[in-house]
Amino acid sequence: MIEFFRLANVFLRIGAMNEMAYRANFWIQTFESLLSMATALATIAIVFNQTDSLGGWQRAELISLLGVYFLVLGTINLVVSPSLGRFMEEVVDGRLDFTLTKPADAQLLVSISEFRIWKILDVILGLIVLSMGLLTKAEATSFASALVFGITLLAAGAIVYSFWIILATLAFWFIRIENITMIFWSMYTAGRWPVTIYPPWLKWILTLLVPVAFAVTVPAQALSGRLTFNTLMSAVLLAVALVFISRWFWKLGVKSYSGASA
Amino acid sequence: MVAAVLADGLHKTYQVPVRGAGIQAALKSLVHRETEAVQAVKNVNLEIAEGEVVGFLGPNGAGKTTTIKMLTGLLHPTTGIAQVFGYQPAKREHQFLMQITLVMGQRNQLLWDIPVIDSFDRNRVIYKVSKTDYEKTLDELVALLDLDSLLHKPVRNLSLGERMKCEIAVALLHRPRMLFLDEPTIGLDVTMQRKLREFITQYNQQTGATVLLTSHYMADVQALCKRVIVIHHGSILFDGYLDHLVQRFTAHKTISIKLSDPLVDLSGYGELITRSEEQAAFRIPNREAANFTSRLLRDLDIVDLTVEDPPIEEIIESVFNQSA
Repeated sequence: MIEFFRLANVFLRIGAMNEMAYRANFWIQTFESLLSMATALATIAIVFNQTDSLGGWQRAELISLLGVYFLVLGTINLVVSPSLGRFMEEVVDGRLDFTLTKPADAQLLVSISEFRIWKILDVILGLIVLSMGLLTKAEATSFASALVFGITLLAAGAIVYSFWIILATLAFWFIRIENITMIFWSMYTAGRWPVTIYPPWLKWILTLLVPVAFAVTVPAQALSGRLTFNTLMSAVLLAVALVFISRWFWKLGVKSYSGASA
Repeated sequence: MVAAVLADGLHKTYQVPVRGAGIQAALKSLVHRETEAVQAVKNVNLEIAEGEVVGFLGPNGAGKTTTIKMLTGLLHPTTGIAQVFGYQPAKREHQFLMQITLVMGQRNQLLWDIPVIDSFDRNRVIYKVSKTDYEKTLDELVALLDLDSLLHKPVRNLSLGERMKCEIAVALLHRPRMLFLDEPTIGLDVTMQRKLREFITQYNQQTGATVLLTSHYMADVQALCKRVIVIHHGSILFDGYLDHLVQRFTAHKTISIKLSDPLVDLSGYGELITRSEEQAAFRIPNREAANFTSRLLRDLDIVDLTVEDPPIEEIIESVFNQSA
């Protein structure tokens, strides 16, 4: 864990310097984040002009869900997606050889090798919208709900990260698979709405195949107090299982890595 | 004492995909990929003592890089044993990785968009080098490689030669005992090649580090390595002193003379390679060289005489041709 913070600190600093070099990115990112958040909020407003509840979800609850959606999205785009994207490039061009000859955990190194710090805006916006949702809700959020929310959010982080690691690790065998993360993104957009409102087949895909349900819906359910004990337990168990499975899979990948031919 | 590098019966077989020409074969390979076993390294045995600088020679695809990858833990040997300072590289143990470094002339580990010094700092953190040690090493490297003006420039603004100097420096910040240098001088101009060679020699003398170097430039090898290992088609053809390689693979010497009388008849002495008015060069079998030289000196009025081995490139080429 100390190792993690030591390395994360230096990579974060380098990432920050990298992005400072291109100032325009900051403004573009601000604009993009605000625009996509505004669109999402407007969509919710339109829906609730027609109805008072969507599949049992109130307006304030959906706003909180949107907050969670942006929070998770921002975290993925802040470090997971850029780092693993870079990892996949390094497999292709052979620079991974340098990473693998370093005396540090290779999975850790590739997971935090690149930070897009401006994506932190999505995280901040997500937190603001989340609080907005909670404040406008009829009844106050209990401490227990907040605690369960914290647990489900941690589980969500672990599940999403492990899922990405598993996708990225496939690069060890198939070399060129930059497009593989599309599997995640195409499904993630569906997470703007609670997966419970979708037809069963899609709900299953979003729960079992691509874990969007656990990434967004479950934490939001925890906040609105509608989370069952069984769902909470499955989120935690799935998180633990995926962390171990992805770790095992990563090690298998490293073993079979042969390096780009020189 | 444990050898720095030890390889015993090292083999590496790759499964490479093969497919025929044309769209039909391409479609077929989407579903069913046929592979073929390629033996990149066959029964390689070698031992390198600590502090040695060894040149690793061979044409493209000879198995040099594969061997280096097995010694740095990037590849698992198919069979056989690889050891570096007694560690098994493929286990990628922390203590092992702390003591080695890898420089590849064709790839860079420096981060492209940020100043060199920040990439240095990243490696300092990864290798857990203390600030004081780091500054001391950095000062030495800056002095030896003349990096002063480069440290604060983004890597993308450096020339190839400048970048290579920085690549070597970043790879040495943790003071490794074993250097794997895979074509470190590739693409560099002659002056920069010479500077890097001088640096490697100095580094080896000052720190006693072991160096295994591959290069296509014979000048690198001649300047740096007493010992060379020649590999071809995955097998070692020669392992020994560079001088011995020359003796073993050249049957002839080139004897050049300068005459005071341009009209003298040189027929009947031996195989004449070139002849201008005063200059002449003969190709003479090694064991006859001494007698031949004294005969020339006795019979003719000679201003100057030199006895030379053929250029090292020619020798290496003849090694490869003999084994083909």
